[in-house]
Amino acid sequence: MTVEVRPLGDKCNIKCRYCYQEGIRTAGNVPTRYDLDAIIATLDKLAEPFSLFGGEIMLTRRSDLERLMQLGFDRYGGVGMQTNGTLIEERDIELFRKYHVRIGISIDGPGPLNDARWAGNLPATRRATARIEAAIETLCREGMPPNVIVTLNRMNAAPDRLNVLCAWIGFLGGIGVRKLRLHLLEQDETEAGEGLALTAQENLVALRRLKRFEQELPSVQFDIFAEMAAMLGGDDAQTSCVFHACDPYATRAVVGVESDGRLGNCGRTNKDGVTHMRAGREAFERQLSLYRTPQADGGCQGCRFFLACKGNCPGTAIGGDWRMRSIDCPVWFGLFEDIETELLANGETAISRSERRSDLEAKMIAAWSIGDNPTLHSLIKQAGTP
Amino acid sequence: MTAALLTCSLTWPRPPLAATPREADIAKAAAQRISFSGPQTRALWQPRLERLGEVALAIELEMVRRKRIPAAVLWTGHDGIGALTERARSIGLDAKPIKASLGYAADWPLEASIDDPKRLLDYAFLIGAAPLDASIAEPAADGLEQAAIRFGYPPCCAKSWADYLRQGGSDPLARLLARGHKTAVPAYVALAVLGLGPIRHGPCAADCSATRDQSRAFLNLGRELGFAEEMSWLDEIADWPVVASLVNGIAEVTTAAFRCTWLSDEDTSPRHGTAATRPAKRVGAAAATVKSADSADILTELGVGFEAAGFENPFAMRSRFSTVVWEQTAALRRAASAVHVGCGDGLLLELISQTKPRLRLYGTEQDAAAAGASRRRLGASLPVLSGPSIEALAALSRLAPDGIDLAFVDPERLDCREALAAVRAIARSVIVIGTDRSLHRHKDMDTLAVTMGLALLPGRAGRVSAALSAPSGRPH
Ligand code: SF4
Ligand code: SF4
Repeated sequence: MTVEVRPLGDKCNIKCRYCYQEGIRTAGNVPTRYDLDAIIATLDKLAEPFSLFGGEIMLTRRSDLERLMQLGFDRYGGVGMQTNGTLIEERDIELFRKYHVRIGISIDGPGPLNDARWAGNLPATRRATARIEAAIETLCREGMPPNVIVTLNRMNAAPDRLNVLCAWIGFLGGIGVRKLRLHLLEQDETEAGEGLALTAQENLVALRRLKRFEQELPSVQFDIFAEMAAMLGGDDAQTSCVFHACDPYATRAVVGVESDGRLGNCGRTNKDGVTHMRAGREAFERQLSLYRTPQADGGCQGCRFFLACKGNCPGTAIGGDWRMRSIDCPVWFGLFEDIETELLANGETAISRSERRSDLEAKMIAAWSIGDNPTLHSLIKQAGTP
Repeated sequence: MTAALLTCSLTWPRPPLAATPREADIAKAAAQRISFSGPQTRALWQPRLERLGEVALAIELEMVRRKRIPAAVLWTGHDGIGALTERARSIGLDAKPIKASLGYAADWPLEASIDDPKRLLDYAFLIGAAPLDASIAEPAADGLEQAAIRFGYPPCCAKSWADYLRQGGSDPLARLLARGHKTAVPAYVALAVLGLGPIRHGPCAADCSATRDQSRAFLNLGRELGFAEEMSWLDEIADWPVVASLVNGIAEVTTAAFRCTWLSDEDTSPRHGTAATRPAKRVGAAAATVKSADSADILTELGVGFEAAGFENPFAMRSRFSTVVWEQTAALRRAASAVHVGCGDGLLLELISQTKPRLRLYGTEQDAAAAGASRRRLGASLPVLSGPSIEALAALSRLAPDGIDLAFVDPERLDCREALAAVRAIARSVIVIGTDRSLHRHKDMDTLAVTMGLALLPGRAGRVSAALSAPSGRPH
C-alpha cells in the first residue's frame, strides 16, 4: 500500500493540460489550509511508510514539509516525494539529503517536449521545464538521482518526436537516472488537453520502441514492461496498482491522507470533481462485472490477459466511468501479446496460455465475490504450477 | 456503526424476494459501500444514516405488530442471531431463519474458520406472528403478485415487481434504471436501496403516485412513533438531487453528501440511468495551443552547436544552461542587465529571458553562423554582437556605457587572455559556466577556477556555475 500525504490536496502551481486532477481543480475543491497535527495523527494510526504527494507538494510551507520528512525519516528511514520539480530550491537539496527523501519528478522531455505540462503561457511553461531539468541535473550531481515519470503524449512521443525522446532518456541515464515510469495520457480531463493524446496505435508504437530501447540502455529501467512480464508469469508481489484489481471506492494500493487528516482514495478515481472518502468496505464489483461483460459493451469477457490486467486502472476507464475497462485496453492487450510471445519463446510460462487459466479465473472470481483479493501468486501456489 | 446495525439489517425491498440474490442483501451491500464527499458531510450524515437504520427497523417491526404486513425480513451474521430472536420475542413476534448466504470475508469474526462455516454465513430471518410460514417471503411464481400486495406493495408495483422477479431480477432500482426511465429517479426512490425508508417496496416507476403515498404513510407512522426528527431527515433527503445509473450490472447512486455502489442485476444493455454530471472541461488555459513542430525543428529548438559550446549532446547543453539559471536565480533577481559572452545559438539567453523577461540582455558570438542562429532564436530586439571576443566586447561597452550587471562566460571559449579582462571591465559580476568539456577535465568548479587562475567568491561555487570574486588588482 502506498500512503500519499496530500496537505494541499490537488493544489498545483502548474496546470498540465492532461492532468487527472484537473477535474477537482475545475470544481474548485482544492483546500487552502491544512491541519498538520491531524495529518500526523492519521499517519500514526496507519503506521506505514508514506510519500509526500499533491497536487504539488512543494507548495507546502517548508517548516511543515520538513516536519513530515523528519517523521518519515525517524520512523521508516526515509520518505518518498512526488513533485513536478519546479519549486525545488537550493535549500531543499540539503533537506532531501538529511531526511533520505526519495524524489520522483514528472517531466515529459526537455524544453518543447514538455509543453503539455502547461504553466499558463509558453514562456512560463518553458521556464518551469528548465527548472525541472535543473532539478534533475542537480539531484543527479548530488548523488540523489530522482525517478522520472514520463507521460506519453503528442508533444513528446508523436512518431516524429520519438527518437528525440529516446535520446533524451539516454542522456538521463548518462547523468544517473535509473528508473523511469511511463504513463499513458489520461484522455478526458481538459478540453485544452484534447488533441494531445496519441492514438492507441501510436501509443503502442511508442511503447514498443521504448521497450526495444530499454534493452539497448541497461542503466535505465522502465518498470512497466518488467511488471507486465511478471504479471504474465504469475508473480504479482512487486507490480503496481493498475494490475491489482483496484476498487475505486477504496483504492487499496493508494491511500491519500488529505489536508484534514482524513483518508481519501487515489486521486485518479475522482472524475466528478469531488475527493470522496474511502468506503467502509473494499469490493470488486468492477472486476466481477468486467469479467462477464462482453468487450463490445466495455467489459473484458473472454480476454486471455484478464488475470494479469483485470481491466487495468479504473481511473482510465472508458468515458471516465470506472465500471468500464481501461480506455487503453488496445495498448495493454498489444503489449501483453508481445510479452507473452517473448516469454513463450524463452521457454517460460505465461498464465494467459496456461491450461489452468480458467480454473484460476474461477478461483479469483469466487474470492472477489466475497470481497477478498488474493494475489495471483497465492492462487497459483494453491493450484500447483500454471 | 451501532450494535443493532452491525448485527442485523433490514432487506430492501420487502418480500417477495428473489430466490438467489447476488449479495446477501442490496441494502447491506449499498450501505457498506458509502463513500462520503467530505469529513463534514460524513460527520453529519453517517450517524444520521445509522440512526435511520434503527428507526426503519422499529417502524417495520411495528407494522408487523399492527398486522399491516405479515412479516419483516432481516439479515444478520451468526453472532447476531441471539439478539435478533430476543428482540422479536420482546414484542410478541417469532423469528424464523429462511436462508443463508456466504458473508463478506471482511465481516467474518476473527476467530471464525472454514471448519466452522456457520460463522462465515449471513442469515435471513423472517419476523412475524407465530406460526410463521417461510414460503410467504418466497412464494411460487404464480403467487408473487398476491404476496407483494400482502407486504404492502400498491397493486401497480406488485404486478410489475412480480413480473420482474419471474424474469430473474432482484434489484428494484436496477429495474427502473434498466428501463431507461425518462424521469430522473428522485432521491427518496434511489436512496431506498439503503433500507432506511421511506419506500420499503419495489416501486413500478420512478414517478409512481401510489409509491409516493406509501412513502408518506411511512413518514406519518414514524412521527406517530416519536421519530419526528428522524423523519425530518428523510424529508430532507427526499429533496436531494441524485444521479443514479446502472452500467454493466453495477448500480451507482451519487448525491452531494455521498455516493454508493453495489453489484446489481445483470443486464444485457450496457449503460442506463441519468447521465453522470462531470464538471465542464477546463477550457482556454492553453488557448495559445503549442503546435507540434517536426523533429528537425525540435532539434534546433533544443539547441544547436552543442559541440562547439563544449557539450556532449543538445540535452546536456540545455540541462546545464537550465541549471546555471537555477543556480544563479538570486543573482539574476538582483540584475537589470546580463550578457552571455560566446552565446552560441542563444539558448542560455533564452532561458534567462524566460526566467526574468524584463532583463536587458546581450550576446556576443565569434562564429557568424551561430550568431545568426542566436538572432533567430532571440529575435531582433536582443543584440547579438558578432566578431572576435575583444571586438564584440568593445562594441558592447559602447552599447551599454554604464556597464552590465552580470556576464556569463565559459573561460575556455574565449579566444584570447585579454578577453576575460575585458569581460571583467564591463561586467559588475562574472559567472563562470562549467561545460561538459571543462567539468570532465577539471571535475568541479573549484578545480576549474584554480587551474585557470581564477578566484571564486568564497563559499559560493555552484555545481555547474560560480561567481568570480571582484578583481583585486591581480591579473587573472
Ligand atoms: S485508481 Fe488507478 S492509479 Fe489509482 S490506485 Fe487504482 S489502479 Fe492505481
Ligand atoms: S487487455 Fe483489455 S480486455 Fe484484456 S483485461 Fe485488459 S482491459 Fe480487459
